[in-house]
Amino acid sequence: MANENTAKSGHQKTAAGRRLSKIMFNDYMNLHQKAGEGAFVVWMAIVVPAELFSGFENVVYGVPESHAAMSAGKGVGPLQCEKAEKMGYSMDLCSYARIDLGTAFDGGKDSPTMGLPKPHLIVSNNNNCSLLVKWFDIYHRTWGVPHFILDVPFCYEPQNARDLDYIVTQYRDLIRTIENLSGQTFNIERVREALENTRDALANWKRFLKTAASRPAGLTAFDSFVQMAPYLTSRGTKTLADHYRLLAEEAEDNIAKGIYPVPNERYRLLWDNIAPWHQLSRMSSRLASLDVNLISASYTYCIGTVEGELDLFAYDGGDPLVYLARMQNSSICPHGMSLRFRAMRRAIEDWGVDGVIFASNRSCKVYSIMQMDMLKRVTNELGIPAVMIDVDHADMRKYSEEQSFTRIEALLEVIDARRKEAKLS
Amino acid sequence: MKNIMDNIKRLKDQGRKVIGCFPLYPPLELFHSMGLAPVTLWGLRDSLPRVAESDRHIQPYACSVARRLMEFLLKENSSALDGLFMYNACDTLRNLPEIIDCGLADAGRPPLPIFKMHIPAVPPDQTDSRPYLRASIEGLIGELEKTCNVTFAPDKFRRSISLYREMRELSKMLFASVADGSMSYGEFSRIVTEGWFIPVEDQLLVLQSALRDNFRKKTKPSPESPRVVVSGILPPPLPMIRDLENAGITVVGNDVASQNRALHYSPPAVDDPAEYYIDFYHHHYPCTTLLHSADRRLPAIRKLVSDTGARGVVFVGEKFCEYEYFEFPYLEQILKEMGIRALLLDISLDDDENTAAYTTRIETFAELMHSTV
Repeated sequence: MANENTAKSGHQKTAAGRRLSKIMFNDYMNLHQKAGEGAFVVWMAIVVPAELFSGFENVVYGVPESHAAMSAGKGVGPLQCEKAEKMGYSMDLCSYARIDLGTAFDGGKDSPTMGLPKPHLIVSNNNNCSLLVKWFDIYHRTWGVPHFILDVPFCYEPQNARDLDYIVTQYRDLIRTIENLSGQTFNIERVREALENTRDALANWKRFLKTAASRPAGLTAFDSFVQMAPYLTSRGTKTLADHYRLLAEEAEDNIAKGIYPVPNERYRLLWDNIAPWHQLSRMSSRLASLDVNLISASYTYCIGTVEGELDLFAYDGGDPLVYLARMQNSSICPHGMSLRFRAMRRAIEDWGVDGVIFASNRSCKVYSIMQMDMLKRVTNELGIPAVMIDVDHADMRKYSEEQSFTRIEALLEVIDARRKEAKLS
Repeated sequence: MKNIMDNIKRLKDQGRKVIGCFPLYPPLELFHSMGLAPVTLWGLRDSLPRVAESDRHIQPYACSVARRLMEFLLKENSSALDGLFMYNACDTLRNLPEIIDCGLADAGRPPLPIFKMHIPAVPPDQTDSRPYLRASIEGLIGELEKTCNVTFAPDKFRRSISLYREMRELSKMLFASVADGSMSYGEFSRIVTEGWFIPVEDQLLVLQSALRDNFRKKTKPSPESPRVVVSGILPPPLPMIRDLENAGITVVGNDVASQNRALHYSPPAVDDPAEYYIDFYHHHYPCTTLLHSADRRLPAIRKLVSDTGARGVVFVGEKFCEYEYFEFPYLEQILKEMGIRALLLDISLDDDENTAAYTTRIETFAELMHSTV
């Protein structure tokens, strides 16, 4: 009975969860402290290769998207969005951007991390999401901070040599820009060390995600959503490598001991889109009460992979800039539909997924526009039932729990009906 | 729809291979010089009031340009095209090629060749993107030659450049007729929009004829008439233009992507297409969608307002176009500092037919402008 109660209560904070809180607290404290002591501060988009900054003695970075996700998770998303809306920014714009603009132009007020220290340089990239360039341009124009645009061609197929060379050229320009602005000298050997830490971290990240194959699964996608946070703020550090090793060990150890996040798991679902940050606790609890486990998410299984793959694309000790240029395609949004579908097929087959929730997200068109055809392909080509719900990743005003769960429950009914049919035949 | 399709069919009857180009700024001269007939697939507003087919593939929070483009292709029009061209114009458009493939497959129709190109988004003073763009243009030529069985010739390219340059110059002259009050902005928009679907040679004839007519009926607008710049991706729907004109507003400046942003700059003629398009994209009139042009955009808007003596700017917001919407608050602030009034009109797909809601706002804006003229 005690075990069942635990199962119904949804996501539980584990030792890894407690360690994660400490890492995140330290990351933001260090960022503010070092900025206060004169470090060169960069704001970057999430797919900008943070390991490059390790090549400098005293460069620190903040990640507005990650900060916005944390703000949404802590429940201040709408408050910060409203500040941006009062400044004239449309409610139709990305909620990460509105949270960030609301926070930044209000001096970090109401932020769980006191916002981010003001930057000396802003670095955006346009393959994960090109509106980031417009969003960062606002700071560039308002504060007069230089804005470096990493222009990365979208990939319908695996990256070609011309694109790779173009990206490497831009990295060299970025390094030169930071050297000129900060007066610091770049050391590629430091980047190599950072990449070795990243390689170890990502190998263990993949180990962690693979515990989804267990029945019941050794994790929920909600665990992966929260645990991806330090990948954005601590990339290239030993802290991250150690944390992900312990995370993977903990998940494997729990399986060995028969401890599962959703012990009564009857439905194994996959989530497609950015995490619903404002709903992590409510949604995981309610799903668990229905014996549903979101065992995987395209948002987190893409980390550490390239175009359409599920396996780790590991650093091999070669030219760091070339590796980073390849990894510029390591998120989901830079991929066309065929590549996304290939990875999703692998996840569904390898981890035994019963159904897919496509979260249509107004704030992320680049992720969402193609989901209607992805849904058809999953249903028709893989024979897996799927449903689409509306969820904004960070603005809870654009989410209806009841509407979403009506659809999710319909999906569960389809899964049940298919199981009955399979039994009869 | 009938007019557009009639125009495309006429091109086909002439033995031309038709390339449907995604907005915004495709390399039209190149296609034309290779004997292909490019049609730019925007301005489909009047032809496609409903987008039922598109709605089966794209969520309603995509912009009307993308939804109508999709609708056009899925409504059996794809068979009239020999290929599509697209570049990295925005996040929504870049996702469309594979959605189009799915839509055509669902309808049991053959796939269309889709030529894709990445236009560098880096500012020239940040990274030298010329070698990349050169390779992209050369790659595109090779693909066109192979797929469409055509060849590139420098002398034909020069001729095409000169035709498109003349078309752009005449279009700008025609807009000057709007600014001096001798032509309706609605009529100008109609002519420019239709121009996207006819050969450039025919476009020149239409423009020359319109200019002759306007020369004969040249009038001066009332000095009390409030003067505005119109800005946006597409021009306002015709009923809204009528509201502007009925309110006594004269459109004297044009910052519309499908009009002046597309027409403003023509590089000098050269034999080398890569050199031409490096110049074309680097010096293109600043646009919210050309990310590298951001630093030139505010000075360009200021200059446009100042050169035309406009006292107001009407932003025609293409609903869900993030590129445009990220800039409005900042531009509004800049204009306020210049003492220029701004009016933002959100146009979503359904609003093309239901513009009455905007009439009062336009009238109020005109009254405010009148009071400060």
